[in-house]
Amino acid sequence: MPESEEKNILLNASQGDLEAFGILYEKYVERIYNYVYYRTGNVHDAEDLSARVFYRALNHIHTYTDRGLPFSAWLYRIAHNLIANWHRDRSRHQEIPLSDAPIIHFKSEPPEVTLMQTQEQDSLLRYIRHLPSERQHLLILKFVEHMSNADIGVTMGRSEGAVKSLYHRTLLALRNELESSD
Amino acid sequence: MTNIKQLADASMGKLTSLEKQLSGVLRPIEPRKEFVRGVAHRIRTGSQVDLLVDRIANWHLIALLMAGLITLAVFLAVVGRTLLSLLEKKRTA
Repeated sequence: MPESEEKNILLNASQGDLEAFGILYEKYVERIYNYVYYRTGNVHDAEDLSARVFYRALNHIHTYTDRGLPFSAWLYRIAHNLIANWHRDRSRHQEIPLSDAPIIHFKSEPPEVTLMQTQEQDSLLRYIRHLPSERQHLLILKFVEHMSNADIGVTMGRSEGAVKSLYHRTLLALRNELESSD
Repeated sequence: MTNIKQLADASMGKLTSLEKQLSGVLRPIEPRKEFVRGVAHRIRTGSQVDLLVDRIANWHLIALLMAGLITLAVFLAVVGRTLLSLLEKKRTA
């Protein structure tokens, strides 16, 4: 979708056009869902929180102002706030045992291929979830969405250099965590 | 110098291997189609219930505001009564 077209759709959506908001929803739902899924670690909360991100966005779309950041940055901010509340409402991060976890499908693989996490992958995901939210966001944008440092910078409101530096520090922190756990 | 280079190479190698692990763990996930369609339908039909639920979900803030208002009202009533009784005492004196 070209940028100018999205601006028009955004304008219509902010004037209460539900169909226009529906188009935005379809464009961003997978990205928000992936972000929430990797931040919460389970499908049930990922669905609940992703839906709430869009309901909240719909409730406040009339207040949305274009500050030069992509619309996704606004949605990510809403998602970030809801996830922060979700974590606050729980004394510890909710982790569903693998046997109870609902089946998830990777996009690049046929539906019959389900997630079979090894213990190693599971512990890596746990370490990722204990990183500061900004670092988790960076890793999700980089590995799940395959965004360049420049695009990540635009979404996160940082310079490309700052993203590179944050990424390097995140890798070092993760490596240290993994090494100390061995 | 060679030792430093070897250490740096080893460190870089570890980071590269970590990046590989990350790309194996952090992969795009497809949300359930029923979920995506369900929310899309509720958005397009403007289902007020979900929007209302989202507003009510902010109940922490609402509860805090209510508690603040009630405290303020009680405080004002106590101060008002004290002032009135002081005035009455002055009058009678």
